[in-house]
Amino acid sequence: MGGESEGVARPRRMPRAGHRAQATLEFAVVVPLFLLCLIGAIDAGLWAVQTSAEVSAVEQAATVAASAGSNPAAATAPDARAVTAAVSGQLRTALFGTSIAGWCEPAAGGACQPDVTARCPSTPAQVQAAMGPRAVVVCVTEQDPPACTAPPPGVPSPYPPKCHDSPLITVRVIGFIASFVPPGFGPGATGFELPTDISATTHTLRFAP
Amino acid sequence: MTRRTGRRGDDAQAVLETALILPILLFLVCNFIGVMVQVTVQEQLNAATALAAQSRFQAPNNAVDPSGTRCCGAGDSQLSTAGIPTGCRYAAETFYGTMTTYTGMLVWQRAPLCTSGGDSGDAAHAPLASRPYPGSPVDSDLSCDIGSTGVDGVIVPGYLDRALQPPNGLTVVTCSASTRLDFSKTPLAWGVFWSPTVHAQSEALPPPFRQ
Repeated sequence: MGGESEGVARPRRMPRAGHRAQATLEFAVVVPLFLLCLIGAIDAGLWAVQTSAEVSAVEQAATVAASAGSNPAAATAPDARAVTAAVSGQLRTALFGTSIAGWCEPAAGGACQPDVTARCPSTPAQVQAAMGPRAVVVCVTEQDPPACTAPPPGVPSPYPPKCHDSPLITVRVIGFIASFVPPGFGPGATGFELPTDISATTHTLRFAP
Repeated sequence: MTRRTGRRGDDAQAVLETALILPILLFLVCNFIGVMVQVTVQEQLNAATALAAQSRFQAPNNAVDPSGTRCCGAGDSQLSTAGIPTGCRYAAETFYGTMTTYTGMLVWQRAPLCTSGGDSGDAAHAPLASRPYPGSPVDSDLSCDIGSTGVDGVIVPGYLDRALQPPNGLTVVTCSASTRLDFSKTPLAWGVFWSPTVHAQSEALPPPFRQ
């Protein structure tokens, strides 16, 4: 009797165990893919929110920087720290997990030179080399017009053509923002970060008719 | 024999399920990222046109670019701005200096850089389209309706917004730009089959000291 019942029960148990193993295997294969897609979608949403915050911050910063010169004919860029302070609250709310600083020229001994003559880093990697991972910097540069000179014969003044322009101010937010991208997958060197480089340009205010 | 066939059938079903689900998941993720890119481009376009419209007022009202003046433009081609208001060039320099990302996937709708005389219209007035300034470049990514005062004192009207200061309206500066997102050159082309058009228009009021 007992042998018979074992004989009946055995075939029933085997397929169930096989099904369980198969389900576990399927689960083990599908869950990472599902999580990858889910985290990818969440990361894309976060990236869009953070980039939007950066765009509105550089727009506001450019307006501040355009009016922050000591006078309308100033030949020095506005202080990046003042511009950073004006927009850092807005940036900090969106860029969680990312440190924000004003760009200054790295000097000997790790100190920062005043950022009057600072040039913006051209790649996020340069920011990472100077500031570490998951850091963005606010960089302000000023492009001054060429000095006016006497025009060559037959050429109308002013010469060169743009010499009466007001300076052009560019505010740039550049670096790596924190994200869910694991090490080895994203473009970031250390993982859990995505590169960003957003800028806004405008002419400085000139109080002329 | 029966058991083996059943297991093979289960395996085939699992492979089929995975083969169906994976592309659908990837398709959804690609399109989600595509929408996020579109939102970001829209934000940037809004900021660029807004700054461009405001920057017109950083230039003197009656300044006109001398001959030989060129600026900005897409790629290697530069726009010639000789003979048109300096404010137009300021707007273009601001716009091109701000729209610096995603440039490889944007297909711009070209338009005259500098126009004048647009009218929003109202119940009593028909809306008027802007006319290009004589000599304005016509292949610009940005188009701005800008008023100015010529060196001979002739006033060229800007865009008349009749919703402001009724019933006469207020002359303002408007800048607009339109672009199409082309995902075909990106990895998203695998799952994104649409090319959305993004448009932005911004208006800047003259500051009080210039009115």
